[in-house]
Amino acid sequence: MTALYDKNQRATLAFLLAGAVWFVVGTLYGLASAIDLVAPETFNNIPWLVFGRARAVHTNTVIFGFSANILIGCGLYYAHTLLKPRQWPVKLVWGAFILWNLAVLSGPFTFSFGISQGREYAEYIWLADVSIMLSMLLITAILAVAVRSREEETLYVSVWYFVGTFLWMLGVYSIGNVMWRPETGAMPGMVDSVLLWFYGHNLVGLLVTPLAVGLAYYVIPRVTQTKLYSYTLSQIGFWTLVLFYTHIGSHHILQTPIPNWLKVASVAHSGAMAIPVLTVLVNLWVTARGAGGRLLRDPAGRLVLAGTIWYLVTSVQGVVQSFPSVQRVTHLGNFNIGHAHIAVLGFGGYIALGGLWHILPYVARRRLWSRRLVNLQFGLVTLGLTGFLAVLTIAGLIQGQAWQNGEVVYRVLPEIFPYMALRAAFGLSIIAGAIIGLVNVWMTLRRGEPFDPAVEPRGLLP
Amino acid sequence: MKMTPMLLFLGGLSVFWAAVLTMVFMPVAMMRSSPSDIWRPMTAEEKEGLKLFVGNGCSYCHTQFIRNLDWGLGAERISQNGDYHDIEPAIMGTERTGPDLAQEGGEHPYDWHLAHFTNPRHTSPVSVMPSWEFLGEENIGKLTAYVQFAGMKNADYRVARQKYWKEVSRAAYAQGVDRNIEWLHSHVPETWRMMPNPYAATQAGLERGKKMFQQFCIGCHGPIGDGTGPAAPYLNPRPLNFTVLRRHLVEERYIGGILYFQIMNGVTGTAMPYFKRALESEKIWDLANYVAVSFMGYTDAGIGPKGIDAAYEPAWENNFEPPDKLGFSHGKGVGRQPTGPDASGQDGR
Repeated sequence: MTALYDKNQRATLAFLLAGAVWFVVGTLYGLASAIDLVAPETFNNIPWLVFGRARAVHTNTVIFGFSANILIGCGLYYAHTLLKPRQWPVKLVWGAFILWNLAVLSGPFTFSFGISQGREYAEYIWLADVSIMLSMLLITAILAVAVRSREEETLYVSVWYFVGTFLWMLGVYSIGNVMWRPETGAMPGMVDSVLLWFYGHNLVGLLVTPLAVGLAYYVIPRVTQTKLYSYTLSQIGFWTLVLFYTHIGSHHILQTPIPNWLKVASVAHSGAMAIPVLTVLVNLWVTARGAGGRLLRDPAGRLVLAGTIWYLVTSVQGVVQSFPSVQRVTHLGNFNIGHAHIAVLGFGGYIALGGLWHILPYVARRRLWSRRLVNLQFGLVTLGLTGFLAVLTIAGLIQGQAWQNGEVVYRVLPEIFPYMALRAAFGLSIIAGAIIGLVNVWMTLRRGEPFDPAVEPRGLLP
Repeated sequence: MKMTPMLLFLGGLSVFWAAVLTMVFMPVAMMRSSPSDIWRPMTAEEKEGLKLFVGNGCSYCHTQFIRNLDWGLGAERISQNGDYHDIEPAIMGTERTGPDLAQEGGEHPYDWHLAHFTNPRHTSPVSVMPSWEFLGEENIGKLTAYVQFAGMKNADYRVARQKYWKEVSRAAYAQGVDRNIEWLHSHVPETWRMMPNPYAATQAGLERGKKMFQQFCIGCHGPIGDGTGPAAPYLNPRPLNFTVLRRHLVEERYIGGILYFQIMNGVTGTAMPYFKRALESEKIWDLANYVAVSFMGYTDAGIGPKGIDAAYEPAWENNFEPPDKLGFSHGKGVGRQPTGPDASGQDGR
């Protein structure tokens, strides 16, 4: 069986498999957190399942474990196929995989014991931070070797995004985690929030977004078998992403005492985010023009297409949410939680799943065990996530309006109870999708029908 | 423009680091904070508490900054840059599932916090905060120290007031039930003491009051109002047993105004919190009627002095006979549900 695997891609496969596992683990912790908010006595005095601990495991595991693992795995695959490098340091890929996943694994084994740096999404302790930094350094090195030894002259758009991700994230991660202060991972005083939210937003903006956009740029033209619409739009989308996204983190702390110029800059750039988002989406959608049916009938293509739609929704929301007048109502309530879920699971997660189902057969050299299970996963996750967005948005608006009208938190809690219960229910649907996905990955590796990708080229891309 | 490795590498890095320069390095250089007027350094115990607060993810539900648009808890003080001077990490938070804690210090006495951290439902029945009993009493003490620090000098003032009245209220409690109630009543302004409840104790009103009782009071005062709720063992002085109020009516008639005032203002020093921010007047009066009818078998609702009935009010007559000084009611009133037009649903007048 192992002989069938592409030697160069075994570590890539490990990334994909780990992502599928962390999807289940991460969403289960999400369920525990959701139950904590509905029936707080359920896990009474079970230390590792209290909300403050389980939530940190949930968020970090789905971002770093699920989305990032699969997106990086897919990226390594397409970087290899698009660049056709003469050298591909497989050992470094394994190193990157192990270091990255050790950090993710540290989550449940530290947060569950109350060992956490506590800053949202920057909770990993210093050693795990080092592990992630080393992993990203290794991936950068792999890409440098691959780019230098490439046989394909042109750098395809996906490669820009994949390389860019690690060029930027090395800076984002080390600065945002204040790694020069290992004890707390924070700077003293208010300014720490500026660093934290520069990091927090760029975790979505410069890790998940470029990885997901790069993957969409790879999967969509292959599934539709059309040529990428515009090179110019690709350039605009790429450069405006790094130009605007890097400036907007402070819109998370508009209502705190930070300098006004910082608030103005972050809101202005948040509005400008429409440019990279729309150029990318127009480019991708026009690429698929006339071939929408092919995209929709392909289980992986459908997930990626849906991911781009979530990207539009979450970006429109994000732009509007950054306005101070809107934040008066939406900030500090569940509205943001809905937004965060469609960004990480809807946009990043859907494209990751689409990429997983598209790329897994090529990496494993086996056909998917079940296309119907992919469609079932799509349905379950879509039901769950759409429901999430609806109930969390409603709950958030109730909270925001009630607070504006002088209600205290305790009076509002019973009002949002039904929505918190529904959120836990919708969460079950997402978890079912995650479990079905893991089963499908596993069965594909065990029982999928072997085939040789080399004799079945597909699409216009290499 | 063709994307070459050199362009990607140099261009990507220069745009990125230019942004870092503006959005990170510039604020770091410019946001040198100096201590604000309320700032003071943390004690060792408070620092330990902050560590627990951070490690256990408390900031996922509790923000620690008060906005200029906040109406509720702590809005007397809008948070300033200097409030966070030297605090590491100063986590603002992004969610308010629970109350903001920027000015939480001194809102409650220590024993309330012990009961609350042990199981938040003890003191706040609708809370969804986890029980932190597993942390042990020592760690709960540290967390409490940190929470009492929140607000710094403002908090110190409030904590000192809690401590002062804690001593006084304990002394009063030690003197026995009746002396304690006399002491409690003595802190209600004269005008309130002889104020009857202006809300009719209709079935609907009592139901509303019951809901408030279940959401806010039951943890300390217990389901039958005898002061033996699950929080009671942690509290000193113990929560009030409402049933003994029967023999402490003012001028053998009035109790509504006292209940209202004590619910509204709380009894600083004891675990009894104020509800003037959480509940508006009708809810407090309905709650006062519920407490009076359910646990004392009597309410002064609707008796004089009173003005013209409000336009919406149903025809309702107070048929409760006040108990005498020993608490006996001579077979009258107790257990008698209000009868008449409201109960029968007809206008009997």
